[in-house]
Amino acid sequence: MNVIEASNLSKRYGSTHALRECTLAIPAGHVTALVGPNGAGKSTLLNLVVGLLAPSEGSLSVLGSCRPGSLAALDGIAFVAQDTPLYKNVSAADMLHLTRNLNRHFDWTYAEARLGELGIPLKRKAGKLSGGQQAQLALTLALARHPKLLVLDEPVAMLDPIARHDFMATVLVAAAEDGVSVVLSSHVLAELERSADYIILMSQGKVQVAGEVDDLLAGHRILSGPAADAAAYTELPVVHARQGEVQTHLLVRTSMDDRVPRGWESHPVGLEELVLAYLREPDASALPGPLRSSVIDASEARR
Amino acid sequence: MMAPAVSPRSKEVASLRPLPWRRMAWVTWRQHRAALIGLVVALAAIAAYTWTVGLQLHHAYAAQLACRPAGSDACLQLTSGFNSVGGFLTNGWILQLVPALIGAFVGAPVLARELETGTYRYAWTQGFGRWRWTLAKLAGLAVAVTAAAGAISVLFSWYYQPYFSAGNEARNLSELASLAPSLFDLRGVALAAWTLAAFSIGVLAGMLIRKVVPAIVATLFVYSGLAIATGSWLRAHYLAPLVTRSLNVPNAVWIVSQNWMTKAGQTVSQSVLYQVLQGAPAQVAGKDGGGPNLHALAAWQYLVEHGYTQVTSYQPASRFWAFQWIEAGWLFGLSVLLIVVTVWLVRRRAA
Amino acid sequence: MSLIEFRLDPASGVPTYLQLVHQVEHALRLGYIKPGDQLPKVRDVVASLAINPNTVSKAYRELETKGLIVGRPGQGTFILATLSQVALPELAGFRRSLRNWLAKVDAGGLDESGIAALVASELRDFYGRRDGSSTRVGSADEDVEGAA
Repeated sequence: MNVIEASNLSKRYGSTHALRECTLAIPAGHVTALVGPNGAGKSTLLNLVVGLLAPSEGSLSVLGSCRPGSLAALDGIAFVAQDTPLYKNVSAADMLHLTRNLNRHFDWTYAEARLGELGIPLKRKAGKLSGGQQAQLALTLALARHPKLLVLDEPVAMLDPIARHDFMATVLVAAAEDGVSVVLSSHVLAELERSADYIILMSQGKVQVAGEVDDLLAGHRILSGPAADAAAYTELPVVHARQGEVQTHLLVRTSMDDRVPRGWESHPVGLEELVLAYLREPDASALPGPLRSSVIDASEARR
Repeated sequence: MMAPAVSPRSKEVASLRPLPWRRMAWVTWRQHRAALIGLVVALAAIAAYTWTVGLQLHHAYAAQLACRPAGSDACLQLTSGFNSVGGFLTNGWILQLVPALIGAFVGAPVLARELETGTYRYAWTQGFGRWRWTLAKLAGLAVAVTAAAGAISVLFSWYYQPYFSAGNEARNLSELASLAPSLFDLRGVALAAWTLAAFSIGVLAGMLIRKVVPAIVATLFVYSGLAIATGSWLRAHYLAPLVTRSLNVPNAVWIVSQNWMTKAGQTVSQSVLYQVLQGAPAQVAGKDGGGPNLHALAAWQYLVEHGYTQVTSYQPASRFWAFQWIEAGWLFGLSVLLIVVTVWLVRRRAA
Repeated sequence: MSLIEFRLDPASGVPTYLQLVHQVEHALRLGYIKPGDQLPKVRDVVASLAINPNTVSKAYRELETKGLIVGRPGQGTFILATLSQVALPELAGFRRSLRNWLAKVDAGGLDESGIAALVASELRDFYGRRDGSSTRVGSADEDVEGAA
């Protein structure tokens, strides 16, 4: 089952495109990172998925074949929006009551136990909790619904490192124990490498990269070699080239067994480096399926 | 891939039944209990005051009625005593604020606060569903405010009741027009209907404006505009006014318009009438330089002889309940429409 | 309390799952854990390190492929075998070869840090090719024999 499936999905505000013809399919059972610069369309995509926005064009289905915003979708998807909205004057216990009343399934035992573990007093008003505690409360409310898909919009942006670690640990344990699929957006790359196993890179409203992290990393290498030979290199599709006076680094799409030319070195590429390279080449894309011609075009353009 | 999903939920059917409406009862109470409690406290304070002054009023009225002989000094004192009770409550304008404030402070924040603070991103992604959430909340709150307004309007009706007895004028006791704008919508079913309308205006304003304070201000403006338009024009025309050409207009009717006209039916201004009266004998025109009194019998007769009549259109007190139901009817219809539009907007519009 | 407490070094460039594999092997080598001991549950590793559950599963699968651990359904993951030991005479022979090689390289003009870099890069390449992840140096016929 694909937890999110979009086909030519567009969202327009007047003449501005927040999303342009996005096509993607995120399989279930993954922790998916949605990355991209500010304004790339990440929040727009997530809002469309949870039914807070309606598409301008194209189609979007969630949890297999449910329409976003339908009862089945609302039931199976839990959303924690940016800045973790909670009712500031409502106590943690009352937030549990509210969520229990508003949903078909709510695991009160889990929620209460979790808040106890975290040291969040039930009687305290949500507005009086610290930033990290508010985020954990919102996450607890979401996870207590035992959703099939957990959607998080920049969940850790405002948190200190410890709170960030604890928050992600909670999310990942839920993925491990409950099989919850997770889609979370962030513009902080460094931490995503260890938590995400599927990545979607968006830029300027379009999907540039989509795929399993392991496959993407295995399918790219950095070839370092003499700058003079860079222009002549034609064997593999080059995504991005970093030229120095003497040395050049080429990010290429490849597989492990591809030959490394004499005088060159082949290094594995890290997720952050890969993402940055694609961000610098807006016309390049790495999408599931056979090697795209768009990547080859980009390397041809270099000659 | 992951650890086996030992999900505590059984497999769900593709199409789900909505959650029961009663779940929203506690949700609505918990989220709006401050406003509702504030409403009850404010109304209780107003009620206490009205009750206290009302007891005074009724007591003075009963005392005056029982007083014998009717023309004695003691009884005259009771008369003026009755006429002076009440102060600012007598003309009822202050109590007009009640539905406006309820509408603004209970109705406007319902959606505006969720949109302004961003909590709609929580509320509208829960399993209940956003338009059902909205409908349940609005219905529950609408019933609550209408019932509260209905309750206090019973008290107001009781308060003003001594002013509407037919025999008052003969005893020099204040007699007010039952349909007068400031008193009409405090009694009967009108107050409840106006409160419901104010609430609906507030709710829609909150949805459209998306910020609490501007929505409150907008609600007060729109409500005032509607109330003023109704009181000064619309209400007068629910049923065709009765017309009289005599000097003595019946007691305690609500005068809709009163004009002097020529035989041909054209309205005549006061300055023209004064000019006509210049030609009258001295005892007809006004004495003491205070200007002619058009209602003095002699002046009136002089003008009639010269071809002018005073035409008064009015609504009698007997039409009170007919007007109450007409007004409550269209206000109710308007409220339902506004609430339906609000729910429709929630359902359709992007957040 | 589990016997092994994993730690991550995000700056090392080594993939996370490999770091976990190495830490288990290291603990085995040092005798911290023995056959029969239980490894932490996937969930507990995830909770303490905040890493993807897949990564932990992958590490455990790798260790299972190497024959070092075994998963018992419903019970957990247990150490199966120790790392193969090298016999003392063989170890002496390796040490002798290495000393000869060092003499040769030193005579050839490579200094200490040059030798260290050369050894490190070949080590990475050798095991990296086996694991499928590390740096490779290009040469026309891909000849990597004859190190010692």
